[in-house]
Amino acid sequence: MVIAAPITGIAETATSPITDKRWHRLVVPGVVIIAIIAVGYAIGHEVPTWLDAHVKAKVDQAYQWTVLHGDTNWLFTDVFDPIGHAISWSTDHLLSLLRTLRWPGVLVLTALIGYRTGGQRAALTGVIVLSGCGLLGFWDHTMITLSLMLVSVVIALAVGIPLGIWAGLSDRAEKVMRGILDTAQVMPLYVYILPLVVVFGIGAPAAVIATIIYAVPPAVRITSLGIRGVAGTSTEVGSSFGCTGPQLLLKIRLPLARRAVLLGVNQVIMMAFGIVVYASLIGAAGLGNDVLTGLQKVDVGRAFAPGLAIVFAAIAIDRITTGQRPQRIVSDTVASRPGALLGRRFMMPLLAVGSLIAVAVVAKLLKADHFPSSLTVDVSKPVNDAADWVGRHFRKGVPIVGGTESFSDFVVINFLTPARDLLQHAAWYIIVAAVAAIGWASGGWRLGLVCGASFVGIGALRVWDLAMDTLSQVLVAVVISLLVAIPLGIWAARSITVERILRPLLDVAQVMPAFVYLVPVIFLFNVGRVPGVVASVIYAIPPGIRLTTLGLRQVPEAPREAAISFGATPRQELLKVQLPLATRAMMLAVNQTIIMCLSIVVVAALIGAGGLGLETVYGLTKKQIGQGTAGGLAIVLLAIVLDRITQAWGSRSNRRAGAQTWAQRRFSRGPGLTL
Amino acid sequence: MAEASISVRGLWKVYGPRAGRIVGSPDADLPRAMLEAKTGCVVAMRDINLDVAPGEVFVVMGLSGSGKSTLVRCLTRLIEPTAGTVMIGDTDVTAANRDELLDVRRHRVSMVFQHFGLLPHRTLIDNIAFGLEVQKMAKDKRRAKAEQILELVGLAGLGQRKPDQLSGGMQQRVGLARALATDPEIMLFDEPFSALDPLIRRDMQDEIVRLRREVKKTMVFITHDLSEALRLGDRIAIMRDGRFVQVGTPEEVVGAPADDYVANFVRDVPRSHVVAVDSVMAPPASGGSSGTVPLGTKIRDVVPYVAASELPVRVVDASGTVVGSIDRVAVLSVIAGEDLAPVAGG
Repeated sequence: MVIAAPITGIAETATSPITDKRWHRLVVPGVVIIAIIAVGYAIGHEVPTWLDAHVKAKVDQAYQWTVLHGDTNWLFTDVFDPIGHAISWSTDHLLSLLRTLRWPGVLVLTALIGYRTGGQRAALTGVIVLSGCGLLGFWDHTMITLSLMLVSVVIALAVGIPLGIWAGLSDRAEKVMRGILDTAQVMPLYVYILPLVVVFGIGAPAAVIATIIYAVPPAVRITSLGIRGVAGTSTEVGSSFGCTGPQLLLKIRLPLARRAVLLGVNQVIMMAFGIVVYASLIGAAGLGNDVLTGLQKVDVGRAFAPGLAIVFAAIAIDRITTGQRPQRIVSDTVASRPGALLGRRFMMPLLAVGSLIAVAVVAKLLKADHFPSSLTVDVSKPVNDAADWVGRHFRKGVPIVGGTESFSDFVVINFLTPARDLLQHAAWYIIVAAVAAIGWASGGWRLGLVCGASFVGIGALRVWDLAMDTLSQVLVAVVISLLVAIPLGIWAARSITVERILRPLLDVAQVMPAFVYLVPVIFLFNVGRVPGVVASVIYAIPPGIRLTTLGLRQVPEAPREAAISFGATPRQELLKVQLPLATRAMMLAVNQTIIMCLSIVVVAALIGAGGLGLETVYGLTKKQIGQGTAGGLAIVLLAIVLDRITQAWGSRSNRRAGAQTWAQRRFSRGPGLTL
Repeated sequence: MAEASISVRGLWKVYGPRAGRIVGSPDADLPRAMLEAKTGCVVAMRDINLDVAPGEVFVVMGLSGSGKSTLVRCLTRLIEPTAGTVMIGDTDVTAANRDELLDVRRHRVSMVFQHFGLLPHRTLIDNIAFGLEVQKMAKDKRRAKAEQILELVGLAGLGQRKPDQLSGGMQQRVGLARALATDPEIMLFDEPFSALDPLIRRDMQDEIVRLRREVKKTMVFITHDLSEALRLGDRIAIMRDGRFVQVGTPEEVVGAPADDYVANFVRDVPRSHVVAVDSVMAPPASGGSSGTVPLGTKIRDVVPYVAASELPVRVVDASGTVVGSIDRVAVLSVIAGEDLAPVAGG
């Protein structure tokens, strides 16, 4: 899905008078930073031992308590357990419904939904792609995953759309929600997975609730954006004819925001698919679990096939939910016979339900319980062979470039290790002071304070060295991603051909769950820190390219035309007009790249990147809840610092290029970004 | 004048923090930039007083930013005025509670918008029926009514189209039809034709003139186009910086501009197009005449008579009684722009 929220903003007209007291602003933070360094020097080179929030111990204690009292405390027996049961009940029944329909029934259902939303084409694509899951031999696991996803999606929409409408109508509601959503945006999923595991235990309910929490923000944002995007002239028309508030909403705002709301639905589904594998970390069965098993055994083939099945399922659902229904051209004669339309309206659903039941019954009679095994293709062996071949031929001995192993060594020796050594060996207080200084320079003293405090917090979580390791990897990945993404984005913005080539690739990348990238990366780089960085880069490049292109494309025609009319060369046009006017979008691209790179830290840990991600994965898989929480919180703190700093860069250029509402800003982030 | 259809007293609209304190204070007379620097407020409309008689077409004319759109929106409180009262018939709109206000908007006043304001997701019929739908009229009833109105504006048979399938002129016919459908006493027009091509605009103006003859509604018409104002208005208010600088008949505005600003505006208007025989005619003269014209005839329409003959033209009132005469000299003096005859005295 292309997320092209047009950036329209009000130019900020207020210009604050520049005072002579600028030096004043430099002195105070300067003194504070020198003070930090001085105090730190007195304390010592390493994070002092008394600076300890005892997070691990406290969380482990809490977990013990829940294990002991889970059966007796009212909070569990009267609140959490019923919720858990309701969710299990829904997923179980949905799954048995899907199984009752059997595979032919499910395919017919897919076709019907696809036909309804996007016509024949969507129906056909949906059916073919979904059959792919069966052909790979994962039909039943796909159904398990689907039932979890669908329950999550329905609940997420039931929560997210009303909240989004509320945020769209009320500035105050939006302000409150914006704060919450902004935090959720940088909050990695596993941070709330842990408390969920504590409360609901390992299993489907925790996985469903984690998915819901993860998928609600985009639903709220996109709905709110859609509601707010309804032109003031339209609502004014409504008011002028005496619409009440509910009438305005039902007759004008919602119909006009329909497309945005549908896009929200689609995004929620995609988000849900994006975290299938994480959900399996906390006990969701199905495809995610298969991938996880493959990855943990470094068995490329075993991870690849279910991964592919997830992609197929995601694409199938995407196609049948985004299809643009071809505009029905009602000829005047047909429309004037109300009976004709009325008949259609009632006949079509009846026919659809009838055919669905018929197919299910026939399938039952024919005992088509399982996807025919004669049709399935085992891809894991050829994939493993291919992986071996690629490994043998590309890791070493490629002329000139030398192969991925030497590339890997090159990156480790020249970038990763120096960066990590610099961060780890520098006195901790120097890092804190430096981060505070960057924060202050980017967004004022408050941001400086937040940044400094966050890093002190990382120290207090007792994971300083691990955090520095992760930070070094993230920074290297960000630099590489930007070096690739921004030129490509500029190129795509200037050449239709390049964009035509890139767009389908980006679209596919957008629906692909993150861990799928890991598989080819393992082919080439085996395990270690470099594959983690490479996976981050691959993951972060698509939004980087997309946002750069989008930003440049949105530069209004008029100034560009003016520049050309004055004889600007294409290069001058780019440097003097387009890039300056697209600063905000470029900063957003930087921000996104960083968030994406951070979000994959945990995934990267699965293939040996170490750092904070490993702590978290270990915490989850070995039930070391305290350790996992400390690691997760440290990632959140890192994310907050990096996100806020880069956002401040973006909003600074706002003042020049015109502001954008938070919803638009957040909207253009796209799916899979809040990980 | 009969009981006024719309009556506005001391209406202000001030944007900014604690806007109410500006109303009537000496600050309000500060230049715009100074006021904004001092108080953070902007006065969009100041101390407007006006009465519109039933059936009258009242045109508010001004350049962009003069406050005319604000004024028309304050009449039904689409924009909440800062101070002052608006009476629609016997209803004090400014004091009305929610239900009374909705009643005014649903049944008594309707509005035609500059950019048509059609709802793209609805067919033309459903667009036209929108006001009726808001009133909760039953579906078949409101559709039938909308069909009728569609015919009235000359778009019969296109009811199932969507707005984006129509040209601008046709879209505004739908906008007009939508406003007519609720059968209001008062119609408000916010620069309805400024987005249209000149030829279409003229057609639409003719449409208004025709409607006016046929349905007799009170109309408040906002425009920035002087010729449109002169063509349609019974009375014209010239607005500048949020206040009326002159209110009068087209003849008064063209013939006796209140200040240099108005004079500048009307400078290029041929007076013979605006001035009627009423204001320049002499008492009935005895003797022959070159022809007979009714009261209200514009001078330019008298030209053919006096060009063909030296004799004066007789002016008659509605009952056919001769009430005055006008000769070649009087006609020429109007054309020459010389104010020889007393203006606006009758």
